[in-house]
Amino acid sequence: MRSWLKMLKELTIRPKVKQIRKSPAYSFDEELNKPLSGQTVKEILAESSDIVFREFFLQGKERIPCMLVVVDGMVDKNQLDQFILKPLLVDLAGHPEVAQLTLANVLDKTLQSILPGLELKKVAKMGEAIDAILSGDAVIFFGESKEALVFGARGWANRGVAEPITESIVKGPREGFSETLRINTSLLRRKIKHPSLRIISLKLGDLTNTDLVVTYIEKIASPDIVSEVFRRLGTIKMDSMLGNSYIEEMIEDDPYSPFPQISFTERPDVLAGKLLEGKVGIIVDGTPIVLIVPAILTQFLCVNEDYYQRAMVAVLARFIRYLGAFIALLAPSIYIAVTTFHQEIIPTDLLISISATRQGVPLTALQEALAMLVALEILQEAGLRLPKPIGSTIGIVGALVIGDAAVKAGLISPLMVIIIGLTAVSSYAIPTFDLGLAVRLIRFPFMILAGILGFFGISVGLYILLIHLLRLRSFGVPYLSPIAPLRLRALLQDTIVRAPWWALKRRPQLIDLKETPAGRKGKG
Amino acid sequence: MERIRPPKIGLVLTLIACSLLLTGCWGKREVEELAPLIGLGFDLGQKPGSYLITEQFVRAKQGKEGVEIQDRTFSIEASSAREAYEKISKISSRLPFMGSLKVIVIGEDVAKAGINDMLDFAQRFSEFRRTMYLVVAKGKAQSILNLKLRNGLLPAIFIKNNLETGDSISIFPQVHLGHYLTVLDTKITAPIIPVLKSIKSGDEGIKYKADGKEGEEIEIQGAGVFRGDHLADFLTDEETKGYMWLDNDINHRTLNTAGSEGSKVNFSGQVLKSTTKYKVSDQDGVVGLQYQIKASVAVDEIMGLKEQLSETEWVDLLNEAEKSFAKVIEKECQLSIQKERELGLDFLGIGRHIEEENPTYWKTIKGHWEEQIVNFPVAVNVEITIQHSGMSSGSPTTN
Amino acid sequence: MEKISPHQFMTLGAGVLMGGTFLLLASGVTVASGRDGWMTVLPGFTMGIPYALMVFSLLEQYPRKNLLQISEILFGKWIGKIMGLIYILITGYYGGLLLAILGDIFERSIMPFTPLWVFYLGGLVLAIYLVGSGIEVFARFSEVVFPVVVIALILSVALAIPRIEQGELLPILEEGITPLFFGVLKVMPFAMEYILFLAGVATFLPTEKQEFGQLRTEVWRTTFLVGVLNMLVVIIQILVFGPEETVRLANGILVLGKMVELSRTVAGVESLFMGVWLGAMVIKMSAFLFMVLWGIEAVFNLKGLKWNFIVGAVFLGIALGFTRGPYMLREVSVTESYLMFPFASLWIPILWGVARWKKGAGV
Repeated sequence: MRSWLKMLKELTIRPKVKQIRKSPAYSFDEELNKPLSGQTVKEILAESSDIVFREFFLQGKERIPCMLVVVDGMVDKNQLDQFILKPLLVDLAGHPEVAQLTLANVLDKTLQSILPGLELKKVAKMGEAIDAILSGDAVIFFGESKEALVFGARGWANRGVAEPITESIVKGPREGFSETLRINTSLLRRKIKHPSLRIISLKLGDLTNTDLVVTYIEKIASPDIVSEVFRRLGTIKMDSMLGNSYIEEMIEDDPYSPFPQISFTERPDVLAGKLLEGKVGIIVDGTPIVLIVPAILTQFLCVNEDYYQRAMVAVLARFIRYLGAFIALLAPSIYIAVTTFHQEIIPTDLLISISATRQGVPLTALQEALAMLVALEILQEAGLRLPKPIGSTIGIVGALVIGDAAVKAGLISPLMVIIIGLTAVSSYAIPTFDLGLAVRLIRFPFMILAGILGFFGISVGLYILLIHLLRLRSFGVPYLSPIAPLRLRALLQDTIVRAPWWALKRRPQLIDLKETPAGRKGKG
Repeated sequence: MERIRPPKIGLVLTLIACSLLLTGCWGKREVEELAPLIGLGFDLGQKPGSYLITEQFVRAKQGKEGVEIQDRTFSIEASSAREAYEKISKISSRLPFMGSLKVIVIGEDVAKAGINDMLDFAQRFSEFRRTMYLVVAKGKAQSILNLKLRNGLLPAIFIKNNLETGDSISIFPQVHLGHYLTVLDTKITAPIIPVLKSIKSGDEGIKYKADGKEGEEIEIQGAGVFRGDHLADFLTDEETKGYMWLDNDINHRTLNTAGSEGSKVNFSGQVLKSTTKYKVSDQDGVVGLQYQIKASVAVDEIMGLKEQLSETEWVDLLNEAEKSFAKVIEKECQLSIQKERELGLDFLGIGRHIEEENPTYWKTIKGHWEEQIVNFPVAVNVEITIQHSGMSSGSPTTN
Repeated sequence: MEKISPHQFMTLGAGVLMGGTFLLLASGVTVASGRDGWMTVLPGFTMGIPYALMVFSLLEQYPRKNLLQISEILFGKWIGKIMGLIYILITGYYGGLLLAILGDIFERSIMPFTPLWVFYLGGLVLAIYLVGSGIEVFARFSEVVFPVVVIALILSVALAIPRIEQGELLPILEEGITPLFFGVLKVMPFAMEYILFLAGVATFLPTEKQEFGQLRTEVWRTTFLVGVLNMLVVIIQILVFGPEETVRLANGILVLGKMVELSRTVAGVESLFMGVWLGAMVIKMSAFLFMVLWGIEAVFNLKGLKWNFIVGAVFLGIALGFTRGPYMLREVSVTESYLMFPFASLWIPILWGVARWKKGAGV
C-alpha cells in the first residue's frame, strides 16, 4: 500500500529540482575527469566503428606522433583533407618553422601558424575534447600532450532550409527552421541585424549533451523574465533532451493545466517578431521547433498571417477565430442544456420539429453527444496517421458520413450531427494545435456538467475555467493579459482588433514589470 | 497564497462529481418526452366551483415529408389547473410542457364569473411567460379549441397567428397576460380583451366552399370589457376600432368612407402612420380630456368619380377626402366613448391620463370616478393628411 | 504583499456593491416609495460615499492596515477584538444568507427540481476557489465578469423596451417627497455592505498620496455606475409592469428576461442571463467570505487555506437553515436593516472620529 501511495505521489507532485530517470549504475563522470590524452580517448571511444583514429607523424626537430580523431559522417571530409591533413602531411616540409617543432611547442605553433581554418582552438579537458569529437569537430592530439586542438569541420546531411510544415501561410516568407542549431541561429540573425540580439548557448542532458540556445533582445526583453528562463533551465537535470517537449514540461508554470503556457514556432520571421515584442526564444539542436516564452492566451488565437494582411480583413479573421473557439468549446454543451433543461428558450416551431426528429432515438441528448464526440475524436486521431491525401478528409467528412448513416439507422438525431459537425469545424479555426487540444479536452467535462445541471452547470464550469486561467501565469506574466489585468492599449492594438501598422506606435505592454516572479511562494 | 495541491483538490472534486452522478439528475427532461401545450381554454364546469379546462397539446411525428403534427386536445373538469394537470397525466404518456403556451382562450361564461383565479396559475408558475395572448371566446372555449379548421392548423396556433397579424390591421387589441395584469392593477382602467368566435360559410358576409362537414373558421372581431376580472359587456366592431384610435394603438389600418352619408365620391385608403395625443383641458374649472388624432393616409381607391378633374379640382377633392376620413374616425371614436359612458367602465384609460397629468385634480374625483365618467367632457379632434393617391391621379372615366 | 490597481479597485468594488442587488431591489423600493421608487436608488447608493471617504482618510493615517487592525490600535486590544468579532459574525451570517438567496433564485425560476444543496455546493466551490486564489485573482475575476454583468443588464433593459406600457412612471411625486425616504433607507444597507468590504480590503490598496485621489474618483465612479444601472432596472420594471405588479413579482428582472422575444427565433432568454447573474452573486459572496477570513485573521490571528473550507461549511450550514423562501427573504431584509446597517453606519464614523481626535491631539 505504501509503495502505491509513494508512486502516486511521485507521479503527481512535481519536485523542486526536476530530476527524472536516474542515471544508470555507473556514470561517465569519472572517465571524463581523467587527464586528457590521446590514448585515453582511444580507450573511451574505440568501441564505436564510426569513429576514425588517424595516426601520423610530424617531422620537426623531433619526431612527433599525432592522432586525428573524427566521427565519420559528421565531419566534412573535404575540409579534413584540404585543411588539416594536407598542411600537416604535405606542406609542412616546406614550412619555415618546421625545424623548430618539438613536442612542447608543436600545438601552439600549429594553432598559430601552420593550419588554416576559421574555427581552431585549444582544449585542455577530457570532457571538452570528447564533446567536440562527438559534435562533429576534428580533434588532433599531439604525443602525450595534455592539450589538444579542435578543428571545426562539421558537415553532415541535413534537411536544409525548407518550408515549414506546420505553419504555412499564403503571403509571407517560406523559410522554416531546420534541425541544425547553427543554421537556425543564422536564419534568426538575418532577420534581426542588431548587436543587441543575444544568442546564449547551453548544454542540457547528461547523455545526449544537447546544445541549446537562449535568444532575446537585450533592453527589450524584461531582465526578470530572462533570468527566470535561465534559472528554470538550470534546474533541469535529466539524461536525455531529445526535443522541445522535454523542456516544455520542465519549465512550465503549471503542468497540470490543459492550456499551453509556452508557444512554439517553426518560422524565423515569427520568432523574430516575438523577440521584438520582448519575448525569449529557446532553440534546441535537433528539432526545428523553437520555444517562445512567455505565452499568453490571446497569442494562441493569433496567426502571423494577420500581420501580412490588411487591417480590416485581419479584424474579421480574428473575430471569426474567437467565435470558432467559443463554439468549439460550448456548442454541444449548450445544445444539451437547452434540450434537456431549458426548453423554454426554443421557439415552439423548432421545439416541435426537434421533438419529431428525436422520436425513436434510444439515447438521451447527453449520451448522443458523448457518443458522437468520442467517435469524432477517434476519427481525428486516426486521420493523423493515415497518408496525407486521405488523412485530412477522413476526420470531418468521415464523421459526417458516419453521422448520416447513424441518423438513417435511427441511432441519433439529425440536429446532433449538425451540432457535432459545426463543433468539429470550429475547432479547426483555432490556429494553434495545442490550444485546439485543450479545447477538445475541456469540452467533455462541460458536456457532462450541462447534462447534469443545465445552464447552471455550464456557468459554474465557465467560471471555474475563468478562475483557472486567471490564476495561471506564464513566467510571471498573467495568462489572461491584456484582458485582465486590463491593459487597454494592448487590448485595442493587438488582441481583439489589429490596428493598422501606422497606429501601432508603441510596443504592446504585456508584461507587467512590477509583478516579479521572484520572491513569490510556490509560484514561478 | 498557497497553491491548492492537485491531489487534494482532485479528491474533493471527485467526491462532488460522484455524489452528483450517483444521485441522478433532477429536472431533466428529454425533448421527445414533452407534450408542448399550445392552447389553453377555460369554461365553467358543471359543478359549481369547478372549471372545464381544455388543453391543446401537440404531438409531433416524423412523417414522410417532414414533420406531422397531431392534435391532442383534452377537456377536463377540475377545480384547479393542477388538478387538471394530474388528470391529463393519467392519459398522456408525455410530460405536459407549459413553456410553449401561446394562447389562453376564455369562455364567455367563465369570463362573466371572473378570471383572476384561473389566471393565477399562469402568472405564478415559472414555465409560463407573461407574453401569452388572452382572448375571450363567444360561447364555449372548448368548442373553439376543438374545431377542425380548413387550413389544417391547430386552433391555438391559428389564433396566435391571427392575433399577431392583427398588428397590421389594428382593429382589435392584442392583449398579453402581462398587459392585462398591469392594467388590472391600476384599478382605474377597465381591461379589454379581444373576442373571437367561430363562423360558418355565410356568416358575417364571408362565403367559402366547405369541404366535408361544417368547415368552420375562427374570426377575431370586437372586444370584451371587464369590470375588474368579470366580463361586463362586448364592444362591437366599430366601438373596438374607436378604442384602438383613442388608445394610440394603430399601426396600419384601412379606412373606408363608403356608407357615410351624403358623399358621392367614396374613398378608401390605408393609414400609414397615426399618433394620438391627449391633453387635460381646463375650461372655467371644468376639467376635460381632449384627444388629438393625427394620421397620414394613402388613398388606394376612389369610387364614383365620373369626370376628369383639373389640378385644383383634384386638390379640392382630396381635401374633401380628408374630411370624410376624419368623419369616419370620429364616428368610431364617439361610438366607443358613448359605450364607455353607457357602461360606466373606463376602458379608454381616461382616468389614468388625468392621473398622469393632473394628479391633484385626480385625487378629488378618484373616489367616484365611475359616476363621473358618464358626464366627463371628452373631445376628439381628428386631422388627416393624405400623402398620395397611388399610382394614378384621376380615375379612368367613361367620358 | 498583493496589491490591486485603481482600475481593479473600481471593477471589484462595483462587483461587490452590485452583487445580486438588482434581483431584489425593485420590489423593495416600490413597496416603500410606490411609483417613484426608482428615484430612491441613486441617492441610496450615494449615501455610502461619505463612509468610503472616511475609510480612506483612516487609511491615509494608518496605511496598509485594514479597519479591524486600526480598531485595535485606536481602542486597545480587547475592544478592537470585540469589534472584529461583531464584524465576523455579521459578515458570516450574511454570507450564508447570500448563498441561500442564490439557491432560491435558481430554484424558483429555472430549475425547480434540482435540490438546493446542489446550488449551494456549486456556489461554494466557486467562492472557495476564487477566495483561495488570492485577492489579485479575485480582482481580475471581477474585471472580467463585471463588464459582462453590465452588458447583460443593459441588454435586459433594452430588450424589454418594446413591452413598455406608456406613461407608467407618471405622475411623478404624487405622494410627495416623504415616501422617498423609506425607499432610500431600503437601499442604504447595500452601500453599507460595500463599505464593510472596503474596511477589510484596505490592506491591499495602494498607498501613495496621489493614488488616494484616484481611489476617491473610483469610489464615485463605482457608486454612480451601480446606482444608475440599478435605477434603470427599477425604471424598466415599473414601466413594463406597473407599480403594483412590480411589488408582487419576486424577481422582476427574471420575468423581464422571460418576456424577451427576438423575432421568433430566441424567446425567454433568462436562462442565459442566469449564468451572468450567478457570476455577480458569486462575486458578492466571495467578498463576504474574504471579509470573514480577514476578520478571523485580525481577531484570532489564524490563517490558512483550511479556514476557507471551514467558513464555507458555515455558510452552507446557514443557507441550509433557511430553505423556505419567504422566511429567508424576511431574514435577509431584517439582517440588512437591523444588523448590518447600524453596525456599519456607527463603527466607521466612530473610528474616523477617534482617529481624527488622536491626530489632532498629536498622538
